[in-house]
Amino acid sequence: MEPLTTSLQHVFGFNTFRTGQAAALTALEQGKDTLAILPTGAGKTLIYQLYGYRHPGCVLVISPLLSLMNDQVDRMRINGFRRSAAITSLTSYAERQEILRHLGDYQFLFLSPEMLAQPQMLAQIQRLQLSLLVIDEAHCIVQWGPDFRPEYLLLGAIRTKLQQPLTLMLTATAGETTRQEIAKQLRTRPEIVSESVNRPNIFLDVENVADELEKQARLKRLINQLQRPGVVYFSSKQQATDTALWLHQETGIRAAAYHAGLASEDRFKIQQQFMMGQLDVICATSAFGMGIDKNNVRYVIHYHLPADLESYAQEIGRAGRDGKPSVAILLYAPGDEQLPLALGQSNRPDDETIQRYYARPQQFSEDDPVIQLLAFYRQHGISQVAVTQMFTGRERERNRALAQMMAYARENHCLRERWLAAFDEQSPEHVATCCSPGNTPLDLSALGLIRQQSAVTVAPEREDWVVRLRRLF
Amino acid sequence: MEAMDLLQVLDHQQPRRLRVIENLLRGRRTVSTLYWGQRYHLLPLLDADKHLDRGALTVPAQQLVAANLVTLDSEEDQLLLTPAGQQRQSQVATYYRPQTSGDWLSLDLGAVRQRTLLAVQVTSQYAHSTSRYYPLTTDLATRRIIRQWFHRLKGPQLAETLSVALIQSLQQLPVQTAEAMTDLLTGYQHPGLTVDQVASKQQQTAWEIRLRQRDGLTQIARDARRADHPFHSLLQSLWRSPVTRSAQATLYAVEQGGSLEQVAAQRHVKTNTVKEHLLEAAILSPVAVFPYDQLLPESVRADFATVLNADIDSWQFAQLPEALRARYDFFYFRLYAIWRGRGMMADGTTHN
Ligand SMILES: [Zn+2]
Repeated sequence: MEPLTTSLQHVFGFNTFRTGQAAALTALEQGKDTLAILPTGAGKTLIYQLYGYRHPGCVLVISPLLSLMNDQVDRMRINGFRRSAAITSLTSYAERQEILRHLGDYQFLFLSPEMLAQPQMLAQIQRLQLSLLVIDEAHCIVQWGPDFRPEYLLLGAIRTKLQQPLTLMLTATAGETTRQEIAKQLRTRPEIVSESVNRPNIFLDVENVADELEKQARLKRLINQLQRPGVVYFSSKQQATDTALWLHQETGIRAAAYHAGLASEDRFKIQQQFMMGQLDVICATSAFGMGIDKNNVRYVIHYHLPADLESYAQEIGRAGRDGKPSVAILLYAPGDEQLPLALGQSNRPDDETIQRYYARPQQFSEDDPVIQLLAFYRQHGISQVAVTQMFTGRERERNRALAQMMAYARENHCLRERWLAAFDEQSPEHVATCCSPGNTPLDLSALGLIRQQSAVTVAPEREDWVVRLRRLF
Repeated sequence: MEAMDLLQVLDHQQPRRLRVIENLLRGRRTVSTLYWGQRYHLLPLLDADKHLDRGALTVPAQQLVAANLVTLDSEEDQLLLTPAGQQRQSQVATYYRPQTSGDWLSLDLGAVRQRTLLAVQVTSQYAHSTSRYYPLTTDLATRRIIRQWFHRLKGPQLAETLSVALIQSLQQLPVQTAEAMTDLLTGYQHPGLTVDQVASKQQQTAWEIRLRQRDGLTQIARDARRADHPFHSLLQSLWRSPVTRSAQATLYAVEQGGSLEQVAAQRHVKTNTVKEHLLEAAILSPVAVFPYDQLLPESVRADFATVLNADIDSWQFAQLPEALRARYDFFYFRLYAIWRGRGMMADGTTHN
C-alpha cells in the first residue's frame, strides 16, 4: 500500500499532515481503535476521508449534529468524495428509501445515532462491509445537557452487533475522566492521540458585571471597541436573536443571529455572509461553529455561562485560527450559574417520576422530552434501578463540570492554568499576554485588539436590481 | 405572521376563525379548513407557511385585540375587525397586494422556490468558472433534477439567457418585489439575504417579503411555460391541479356512475372518505367542471332553498328542520353551501 503522505498528496494535494493527523492514521493503519482529541480546525475529517480512500468498504460516521450533517456531506462532495450520503430524522421518507436502495454504493455514510438505533436500519448496516466506524463529537457520550442524545449510550451495544469494527472516536476536548468514559461506553481500549488544547494566541478574560443591564452595556462597549469579526455565544435562541437586532439598532454593526431554529436556507446564507466578511458579529447558540472555516475571528464572547469547560474550550477555539492575537471573554454576573443548572434540571426526572413512569408508562404523555427519554431507556430494556442510578451519576458529573466552570469564572490567579488543569495539562508560566481574571481589568490596546475606527463612510448608493441581478451571471 | 399581517386577512363583517387561518397556512387540507378558507377568500394562502407552529397566531391576535383593532369571541377563536381596525386596514396603503395569487393553488411553489434558487446558484457559479462551492441545502430529488437540467443546458449562452429571462419576469412586478427577489438569490460571491434581512432593509414585514417572493416565483413559472424559456423543463411539471390525486380519482369514479357506496367499495375507502374527496373537489375546482347536477339535483337544491336564507355563513346543519336532516346528511348540506357560495343563486342562475 502506498505511504500515507503519497495518499495525502494524491487526494488533497498537500505534502505534510497537520499534527495529530499522521499519528491517528498510523494507529488506524495498524488496526488499533483510536481516540483522537484534536482541537477544532485541526482537520479531523481528513483522517477518515483518507482512511476511506485507502481501504475498500464503507466509512460509517455517527454524528449527533443533525442540522449540520448535510453540510458535512456537501463538504465531502467538495473534496471529491461524491459517494457520500446522510440519513437523519430530517431526511424525507422518499430520500431515505432512495439512499437505502443504493446503500452498498456509498463510500461515506453519515447517520444520526437515533437512526442507527432503529433495528431495521441496524439490520441494513450489518450487511455492509464497514472499513471504519467513526464516532464524531465523541464527548457527547458523556456530556449532559439539552442536546444530550440518549442513543449515544447504545453505541457500545451497537458496535458489538456490528462485530466490533475498527473505530475512530473524534472530539476536540476530553479530559481524563471523559476519555475513560468514552472508552468504557464503546467497549474498547483505544490508542489515544491528543494535542494540547491550549491556544496560546487566545487571550483569556473574565469580566464581572453587577447584573443583566451592566452586562448588556459592557457587551455593547466591547463590540464597539474590538477588532472584527467576532462571535457572541448565548444559551437561548431568543436572546441571540434579540441581541443581534439590538446591537444593529444601537451601533449600526452588521449583526445576525444563528441558531438551530433557523431554516436551512437562512443558516446557509448567514454562514456564507460571515465567511465572506459581510457580517461583523454573529450572535449564536452552540449550534454555530462546525462547518465554519473562518480563520480571522478576533473575539469570542460568552454572554451566558457554559455548562462545562469542554464546551467552553470548543467555542473559544473558533477564535484566532490564523494564529494572530485574539481574545475569549466570559461575562459573568452573580447567579449566572442558575441558567445551566436549570437547563440541566429540566432534562432530568426526579426519582419519584422515574418510579411512577416505570409502574405505569402508558399514563404519561410522550410530548414531554423527559418522558421521551424515559420511554427510550425502558424500550431498550434498561431497568428502573439502572436508570435512577444513571441519572444520579449524571447529575453528579454535571455538577462537578459546572463547579469547574465556576472555578474558572472566579479564578483570581491565572485563567489558563485553571483551564488546562481541567484537561490534565500543565500550563506555561503566566505572562502579560496570557489572561486577565475577573479581578484584573482587560487592556485591549496592550493586546493590539482595538479596532481602528474607520473614517465615516457614506453607505454606497444601492445599485438598481437589474444591475445586481446581472452581476450574478 | 405579525399582527399587521393578520390584520390584513380579517374582515369587519365576516367573523374569521383563527384556527382556520392557521390550519390553512400550515397546509392542513381538511374539508372544514378548505371550505372556510374559500368563504374567507384566503384559499391562495393554503400551505403558505408549512413551518408555522400551532398556536403561533394567538399572540398577534391578542396584540390586535389589545390595540382595539379586532374583537375576539369568548372562545378566543372568531376574530372581527372593529371600526378602528377596518380603518387601519385601509390606511396601510403600502401593504403588499400579491398580483399572482390566482395561480398559487395550481403551482407547487415550494418546489419552484427550491429549484429556482439552486438553478440560479449553479448557473451563477458556472458563469464565474467556479466548481468548488457550497451548494444550497435541498433534498436529493431537487439536486438530481438540477444536475440533469444543468448538464443538458450548460454552455456559453446559459447564464445570459437565464439572466435575460429572469429580468423579463421580474420587470412585470412592482420594483420592490424585483428588489426582494434579487436579494434573496444566492450566487457567485453573493450569499443572498435572508427573508428577515430583506424585510428589515425594505421596512416591511417578513410576511410581505414572502408574499413578494411568491409573486416573483409565480411570474417566473408563468413565463417558463414558453418552451424556449431556460427554466421550461425545470418548472413546467410543477403546475398541477389543486385537487389531490385521490380526490380526482374519486371524482372520476363518481362521474362514471354508481352510488357513493359503490365507489367507496370499488376504491377501498370509507363512504365518508368519498364524501370528503368530493367536497374537496367541489371547493377547489371551477364550478363548471364539478358534476353538481348529478350530486346535487334540482330537487335537493329546492328542498334546501325553502329553509335557508342568503346569509350562507350563518347556516348550521344542526338547526335545519328535522325532516330535512333525516333526508340529507351533512355532505349534501355542505355541498349546497359550496354551490351557493360560489355565486349560484337559489334558482340556479349565477349572480353578478
Ligand atoms: Zn494567565
